[in-house]
Amino acid sequence: MAESVIGKRIPKVDSREKVTGQAVYAGDMRMPGMYYGKVVRCWEHAHAKVKKLDFSAALKVPGVVKIIGPDDVTKKPYNTTVMKLLVPEIFGEVFGEIADLNIFNRVVKHQGDAICGVIARTEEAAERAAAKIKVTYEPLPVYMTVEASKAEGKKKNGYLFTPLKPGNLAFDLPESFFPGKRYGWNDKDGKTAEQLFSKCDYIIEDTFYVPKQKQCQMENHSYVAHYDERNRLNIWTSTQMPKPVQVLIAELFELPLTRVRLTQTTVGGGFGVRLGMIGEPHACAMAMAVPGHPVRMEFLREEDWVASETRYPGHIWLKMGFKKDGTPVAVDAMYSARKGGYYTHGSGPPFCAAAFLHGMYKWQALGMQTEGYFTNEVPTGAYRGYGNPQITFAAEQMITKMCNELGLDEIEWRKKWHKSIGDETWLKGVTFASDGLNDCLDVAAKEFGWYEKKKKYAKQTGVKRRGIGLAVMQHTSGAFPMLLEHSVCTAKLNEDCTVELIQQISDLGTGGHTVITQMAAETLGFPMEDIHLKSGDSDMCGFDIGAHASRTIYCAGPATIEACESVKKQLLERAAQLLEANVADLEMKDKIISVKGNPQKSISAVKIAKEGVYNYIDAATGKTIGIPGQIQGYSSFFAKHCSPPYGACMSEVEVDIETGEVKVLNLVNGHDIGKAIHPPSVEGQLEGGAQQGLGFVLTEEYAYDSKGRVLNNDFTDYKMLGPSDMPKAKIILVETAPDPIGPMGVKSCGESALMGPIGSVANAVYDAIGIQIKEAPITPEKVLKAIKEQGLRK
Amino acid sequence: MASSRILPEFELLLPQNIKEAVSALGKLKSKASVMAGGTDVVISCTKGFGSPNVISLAEIPGLDYVVYDSKKGLRIGAMATLQQVADNADVKKRYPALQRACAINGTPQTRNMGTVVGNIMRASPSGDCICAVLAIGGKIVLQGPKGKREVNIDDFYLKYRETACKADELAIEIKLPAISAKNAFARMTRTTLDLSKVNVACSLVMSGKTVKEARVAVGAVAPTTIRLKKVEAILKGSQITDEVLQKVVATVPTEIKPIDDVRSTAEYRRDVAGVMVKRIILEALGK
Amino acid sequence: MKYMLSFTVNGAPADVAVGPTETLLDVLRDRLGFTGAKRGCETGDCGACTVLVDGRSVRSCITLALTVQGKAVTTVEGLARDGKPHPLQQAFHDHGASQCGFCTPGMIVSLAELLEKNPEPCRDDARAAIAGNLCRCTGYVKIIDAAMAAARSPHKKGGPA
Repeated sequence: MAESVIGKRIPKVDSREKVTGQAVYAGDMRMPGMYYGKVVRCWEHAHAKVKKLDFSAALKVPGVVKIIGPDDVTKKPYNTTVMKLLVPEIFGEVFGEIADLNIFNRVVKHQGDAICGVIARTEEAAERAAAKIKVTYEPLPVYMTVEASKAEGKKKNGYLFTPLKPGNLAFDLPESFFPGKRYGWNDKDGKTAEQLFSKCDYIIEDTFYVPKQKQCQMENHSYVAHYDERNRLNIWTSTQMPKPVQVLIAELFELPLTRVRLTQTTVGGGFGVRLGMIGEPHACAMAMAVPGHPVRMEFLREEDWVASETRYPGHIWLKMGFKKDGTPVAVDAMYSARKGGYYTHGSGPPFCAAAFLHGMYKWQALGMQTEGYFTNEVPTGAYRGYGNPQITFAAEQMITKMCNELGLDEIEWRKKWHKSIGDETWLKGVTFASDGLNDCLDVAAKEFGWYEKKKKYAKQTGVKRRGIGLAVMQHTSGAFPMLLEHSVCTAKLNEDCTVELIQQISDLGTGGHTVITQMAAETLGFPMEDIHLKSGDSDMCGFDIGAHASRTIYCAGPATIEACESVKKQLLERAAQLLEANVADLEMKDKIISVKGNPQKSISAVKIAKEGVYNYIDAATGKTIGIPGQIQGYSSFFAKHCSPPYGACMSEVEVDIETGEVKVLNLVNGHDIGKAIHPPSVEGQLEGGAQQGLGFVLTEEYAYDSKGRVLNNDFTDYKMLGPSDMPKAKIILVETAPDPIGPMGVKSCGESALMGPIGSVANAVYDAIGIQIKEAPITPEKVLKAIKEQGLRK
Repeated sequence: MASSRILPEFELLLPQNIKEAVSALGKLKSKASVMAGGTDVVISCTKGFGSPNVISLAEIPGLDYVVYDSKKGLRIGAMATLQQVADNADVKKRYPALQRACAINGTPQTRNMGTVVGNIMRASPSGDCICAVLAIGGKIVLQGPKGKREVNIDDFYLKYRETACKADELAIEIKLPAISAKNAFARMTRTTLDLSKVNVACSLVMSGKTVKEARVAVGAVAPTTIRLKKVEAILKGSQITDEVLQKVVATVPTEIKPIDDVRSTAEYRRDVAGVMVKRIILEALGK
Repeated sequence: MKYMLSFTVNGAPADVAVGPTETLLDVLRDRLGFTGAKRGCETGDCGACTVLVDGRSVRSCITLALTVQGKAVTTVEGLARDGKPHPLQQAFHDHGASQCGFCTPGMIVSLAELLEKNPEPCRDDARAAIAGNLCRCTGYVKIIDAAMAAARSPHKKGGPA
């Protein structure tokens, strides 16, 4: 029998083409008759009216085919997100989902808003013409903070970003679903968190700031769109959500799904930025203006910073109350976020910040409010963690401080008070089914040498001070039951008894295609080489949500398994008929189906597969040879749970108290994976996530000038960590708590990777100097200022 | 403002010798920029600060030398790359400040392309090689239509991004004196791969434990990289004691005029420049 | 005005008429079809466009094409030899060092230069060689693992055919 590939360190199915340079990203595509599209954006202003748009000089540039502006495209407003497809209509209405984007704009609400599009025969002509388009603007005041936006929104006749959102309040929790506009729960006597503070022995209250971070996927957003001779709109894109984006494009351009074909190209990183549409509407609009010609449109890196969504920045206020023995009593919280110029993922990340506070500890009562105000910034949206990095940065610093001040062991406190099996997860009414957090804490503490280091660094002198920090987290595997989680798989048995999986698996470099192939091989007992995953083409694949909420393996894996089980079952049924045996008595090994305990009574699965397709008539008997019909398995799978994984991360830092510089020396992250189907991919998620988490906590944030223009829209001045900046990182995959619901015991790992590094580094800085730095990123400037103002506290 | 991946139009000149290059420069003057490795010129073009003509030195043979002579000192040709200088054994031994400035500048790829002379000529207030050379001392050799002249590095930087090099002159070499001074360079950045938020270098001629001569340079704290004359005066004739160092730390902020920018704040630069100068003095002396 | 650029790419001669403003990256990708070199930032910061010019790694996005007249350029597509992947390519494959894959060609080219120069690199040497190559997926861990594995290979020098 083919050796099981589950848990094996095998090469990934899609890595050959990546290491040889053969993998095709949308920007690598060339097609006959292809034109080049260029979006003209507003770089001068963050808020302005377009007074005049003059194409005359640009149209004279040789090679220009067409220039299209706001009047040449659909006026239908849209939203980039797929949220409305994932919830019932009424739910979207209650949450206040709106559509407020246009393809090309007469009002600029953030630097980078699109004004018009140039289509030309060469990229050079498109670029040169774009530079010659004259746009006359009337600048408007810019609102860059929650306070400024709120104040303007409160004024009589004050400026409103959209009439659909009074007061410039893009989102808060609707009272009808959330009493007191708070997410959480009251204690057994119905008392709210606020009401319980009077019963607490120890109360801490603080405000934290979380940054506007960019996903920085290495592939720029690139598209090829083609309105073809059959009046079909074709689009090649590296979106994370191919099927839902196909639907959004069809709706925007009012086409039936049969006339929209979306092909997912190799995805050069996602991390949430491609969770919905970005440049698809612009690329499609340009292609529809020149039917018959494919149009390639590639973002420049600087466009990414001003024209694709970011993490939600803002302030998080937390008030926590405890008994003196550390018993958690009440937490009240508020996340006040900057939305950016458009609604986009208006409700998601702020709600989820509250949700992940909800999922962590056993408070007697918890209430969290969230609000998002429009600002003249590029809109915020999905970024790996979706609210969880923000709340973890704040909450884990508070927990550590409480443990310090009450003299409690912070590992033991977290073991005792984290929510576990049977407790409510991040989502009301859904309970934890498995819990590996204590094991994560134990293995991490041992590997890290937590207690030894704690002792060693208790008293330090000198300029360089060491500190250690801990943070735990819980996340989710898919977003069910809050959101739809549906995946379809067809497993087609070829006549040579190999299998084509036809399934829209969105692999952002995460290893998804490999793991799905492993799961199919395991289910069928076939070798990996006999399974081929066909993915990416909406003309072929059934429905799938795509990659979001760390869902792929957890939600799409079961569809693969069910479809392959069906293939196996059909093979066994045919074998039973041909062998005149019971299905229950049969087993399949190395594609030979035999009666258990009687290997002589057997038939080859290859023969069954072949005869199903080439079902000839035996001239001698007039009967068919074998059983007719090509075998195909099918599953349309809806997730049943969200099996949150846990994680525990420990970091060691060295703080230079004369310069405020923080160096992360060492990081150990124990992750409750349940079962690692492909360990290198799980480790890769956690190692790579650490780079993003460390960026969040140490270096990454947008910088603006006084007019709201981005000062660091390049890698020269937006600093993510390079190879020389990364600490030694040890990832430990904890498999002691396989999930009873996840396929093969699996829980997720994609987004989980950021929270631990963020919280633990913040806490390690606190440990080193005795001062909490409450604003991320924790830059040397902030550290030194804090030391200057407050003095070393350790 | 525009955003484009296509460089604005310019004519590229590829002179075959210095004479041709100087002649082209003499005709075009400020309408041309000189390109050695291209790492700065091409990016300036992308950002809309290019010239209508670019004179590339890529095809001029014999300009990529790094030569040391125990009497005359070090000569670095206009096309010698940062990597070449960083790898040079004499530079490693005698000019560790310059070696370090070259070795940590940019990335391995831009070090293979970019040149020391180019870094000097770019006149960025945060230029790492500028800081090192200003501390070590040296001369820039300029070739104009009427011949060669040498300008002392101390007189070379006039104001922000402006040098004593005239529009028709080509920098062909930089000369560093043969010195026995102990020298070192360090910088502070946000991440390893970055432009300096502050850089410092010093060069100390010692007589036993006493400083005989001192040159101290700091970058990214004023419109040009500057020498700290007051600090140098404190050091000269002194032994490096804690007391002297404390005086240095306190004096540095009085000699600099930093600003807030995307890389750091004026306040922070003022706070750390003294500490960095103190540390580089100790490093130069091997302490 | 266009000028004739004559150079070799991956061992084969190429003659292309190019304008003064065209970068080596654009010529490789758009004229010659070597799309292994990627457009990541076009400001020389990310390293996705890294190629070898006469054996030294450079940023092709900020290299004017006409400045490589007569030189030998090697892209990731030219590293295989005798139909076999370069040891670095094999090691990246074996160790899961490539995730989204967009930075991979630049990483491999930078490391290929290292292995040519330094037959026995340590992890820090590998880290320094890719210091200018940004990756958002891997945290660089498995990339350095792969580099070390390739350095142990007897055929580590690879090089153009």
